[in-house]
Amino acid sequence: MSGSSADPTGDAGGDPTDNRDRITAVRDRLDRVEDPELARSIVDLDYIDAIEVDGDRVEVRFTLPTAWCSPAFAWMMATDARDEVETLDWVSEARIELCDHMHSKEITTGVNARDGFGETFPDADGDVAAVRAAIADKARVARQREAVQALLDAGVDPEQVVALERADVDIVGDEAHVDLDGLSVVVDAAPVADYLDRVTTSGHVTAPDDTLFLTPEGDPIAADRLDVVQKRSRLATVNMGGQGAVCDALHRARHGPDGPDGSGTSPLDESEFDRSTYDGDVDEFTSTWTLSTDD
Amino acid sequence: MYEKNGEEIFVIDGHVHMWDARKENIIHEGGEQFLQCFYDYHTGFTPEEEQWDIDEYRHYGADKMTEDLFGNAAADMAIFQPTYLDDFYDEGFNTTEQNAELAEQYPERFVLNGSFDPRDGEEGLRYLEHLKEEYDIPGVKLYTAEWRGESKGWRLDSDDAFQFLEKCAELGIENINAHKGPTIRPLNRDAFDVEDIDDAASSFPELNFIVNHVGLPRLDDFCWIAAQEPNVYGGLAVASAMSTHRERKFGEIMGELLFWLGEDRLLFGSDYALWNPDWLVDQVMNAELTQEQKDEYGVELDVDTMKKIMGENAAELYDIDIEEKKRQFRDDPVSERFDLEAHYGSEAGAAAD
Repeated sequence: MSGSSADPTGDAGGDPTDNRDRITAVRDRLDRVEDPELARSIVDLDYIDAIEVDGDRVEVRFTLPTAWCSPAFAWMMATDARDEVETLDWVSEARIELCDHMHSKEITTGVNARDGFGETFPDADGDVAAVRAAIADKARVARQREAVQALLDAGVDPEQVVALERADVDIVGDEAHVDLDGLSVVVDAAPVADYLDRVTTSGHVTAPDDTLFLTPEGDPIAADRLDVVQKRSRLATVNMGGQGAVCDALHRARHGPDGPDGSGTSPLDESEFDRSTYDGDVDEFTSTWTLSTDD
Repeated sequence: MYEKNGEEIFVIDGHVHMWDARKENIIHEGGEQFLQCFYDYHTGFTPEEEQWDIDEYRHYGADKMTEDLFGNAAADMAIFQPTYLDDFYDEGFNTTEQNAELAEQYPERFVLNGSFDPRDGEEGLRYLEHLKEEYDIPGVKLYTAEWRGESKGWRLDSDDAFQFLEKCAELGIENINAHKGPTIRPLNRDAFDVEDIDDAASSFPELNFIVNHVGLPRLDDFCWIAAQEPNVYGGLAVASAMSTHRERKFGEIMGELLFWLGEDRLLFGSDYALWNPDWLVDQVMNAELTQEQKDEYGVELDVDTMKKIMGENAAELYDIDIEEKKRQFRDDPVSERFDLEAHYGSEAGAAAD
């Protein structure tokens, strides 16, 4: 699962009987599902159109910013959403519907039938695991910069930074303790813990003697190249943010400024834009255009 | 021409289309979805008062296009980038032949690129020769994610593609414009890399590779490749439009591009009719980096930099003599139509809006 958020509210225990509480519980689980391209929660990104709870059955409908969003990414979000919701004790079955996408039918059918991606898209090139790995790797690179910067700001030399191993770092409460040959440096835990989370998920740093910080290619860093690696990490972050802005604008273009749940805070004013002016002949579009008024 | 701080900036819009997405031309649901996706991009990054309605957006025609590009001298020249999509559109979405209708009407104002698809094999090679012969195309626009029957795309570093790039080199078709944007293949390894540009660019150093949309959403991979391949350029279509509502993001992206590629390898493009140079040029010219961004990247969007990005770099690639063009435009048909003679005649012609 890509749900690596440290959000403590997603406790799978308890059995809320009130429907409103159940919807909140589902939303909390969905909050752990990320758009892999942006490394941000699909709840924060306003992708969720509707959550319906009927006893122990849950239905989640979601829409992506573009009908052309990579089916592999859409597949990941749909399966992650299903798996996250089903971690709730009181849920027997979660049904996921992807709306308004090039491959809505295939993905919705495949995910709910518990098929694999390969069965759903026989002509697919590669597999979802490879895509996940590549995405996790990007998140690792993007998050390294702040962790390294925190150490540099605390006076750790570039030579010391590049020599660090996993075992040299301990997260203690909201502090990260960094052992430099017996001398301990303390920095804010947040950027370091976030980086450790990503680098563990990506599988790059698991053993105690693994080198802690790496180039985007996954190699140890020469001290005199740390600056370039930091700039490449910045670039990875800017890329995600740039793509986030594109997705956000497309999402708002599809749903209007308020988003599907009315929580939009868009600086755009697109209230004039009315989907109903379109009388096109493509089912996928017409059937879901009214969703923005749901909820 | 645009005037900024008392200096003229000659604008070559590096990425324009004349498309036909009228319903009678659509033969596959992908064609409708494609156009709707374009329309979302349009409304998402266009100020409300400049937005078109969907019918106008489907088909705007040569006349409106000429006025939008040149009517207020927002652009001085424009480069056609065809997008065939033959499986989706009966007569094609935006073909070389469709673009030629306008390019041949005002040859001094337009650069007409062609296209190839390596899946067309021998017939495709003949077509490329025909395009050179018929239109003397200086470049091609390539759409690696285009569907063709069972195939959902192709790669620029494949043997088949190399055969076509060899043909380009042989024919003197130097400017290889590759679209690197959202892909549609069910699962596509290159959904998040621009890796095929790397091998193609190093294998054909005599060709220029202009990566449209600067690889977004793979800006990081693109910049890293471009930093190592001197014949790789960034086409700013889509990125330019982010100056609408997202000026800070636009600044960040420009900061990265200027840092990794420098000011000589970036080309402005409106992506018309996705966005209209009529207002976009002014908006991009007025975009500024924040002080923080200037400090972070050590770059600026000053007049000299903008001159290069907005026109001089494209002029270099397409052998356009800007001074000669300015003289020519004092009495060419476009200037006559829009009363721009004085604009090009004076020493410091301000934008005629």
